[in-house]
Amino acid sequence: MLIFKLLTCQEVANLASDYLDKHTDGKLSLKIRVHLMMCANCRRFVKHLRITTAAAPHLVYKNTSPIDAEAILKKIKERS
Amino acid sequence: MTASPTPNYPDEQQLIAALIAGDDRAFCEIIMRFQHIMLSIARAICGETFADDVVQDAWVAIHKNIVKFEQRSSLKTWVITIVSNEAKARLRRESRKVSLEELDGETPGSYLDSANFKPDGHWRSATPMWGCESPEELLEETQLQCCINKTLNLLPPAQKIAFMLRDIEQQSFEEICEVLQVSAANVRVLVHRARLSLMQVIDCYQETGTC
Repeated sequence: MLIFKLLTCQEVANLASDYLDKHTDGKLSLKIRVHLMMCANCRRFVKHLRITTAAAPHLVYKNTSPIDAEAILKKIKERS
Repeated sequence: MTASPTPNYPDEQQLIAALIAGDDRAFCEIIMRFQHIMLSIARAICGETFADDVVQDAWVAIHKNIVKFEQRSSLKTWVITIVSNEAKARLRRESRKVSLEELDGETPGSYLDSANFKPDGHWRSATPMWGCESPEELLEETQLQCCINKTLNLLPPAQKIAFMLRDIEQQSFEEICEVLQVSAANVRVLVHRARLSLMQVIDCYQETGTC
């Protein structure tokens, strides 16, 4: 017999980042894990969120222009 | 200096000591490290028009005040806080909204919309399937990276900054609270919303091959 109320998919979707970032306490994490065991949609949702988060550090600053640090420093000194 | 393949000061304490001593090489190194993130934060807060000016003002403030840096936070957090404050001050001068919380907004059609759930709280339809199983596979798609960058630039400013600091720059939630001057709970909501917006772009790309 379950001793706690099962979470809904909407609740899991709202809590997914907190769960991945380990901001959910032990009891709440357990409730989420129980839900994930039973729900393929939420398993996929959480997996995709994990992939998105893990990919993030590599996704930006790709098309940024090169930095001329010496020119920037020269301007800073002119204004200091 | 247009590239820095290997940092001259891998140790932060050495770098800070050199900065305080007025070492230009050390200052060039922090410009290389932080210029892009500073520009992104300034753009997110006060827009493209003022971003370059704001970053330059921030660098002048950093250069002037580095001797007073007390190391109560990391150098990166200190630098980011300065540019964030400069950008907010610029917004105030331009008589526009200044609270980052005001710069947030629900993304229409978000995953979290009640419309996506049945009255009992379960998904109305199946969550999308992806053809990739890892971040590496995801990153192989150049076009998808462009779509994600485009979406990132369209996020409400507060979400964009929270996401950049947390997931791209890997700052702690505590440091982000300090920079944005919002509660930890608020930062977590902002990061979650941003992640879901990017996830939806990936959903769309997986299904249609376009943004």
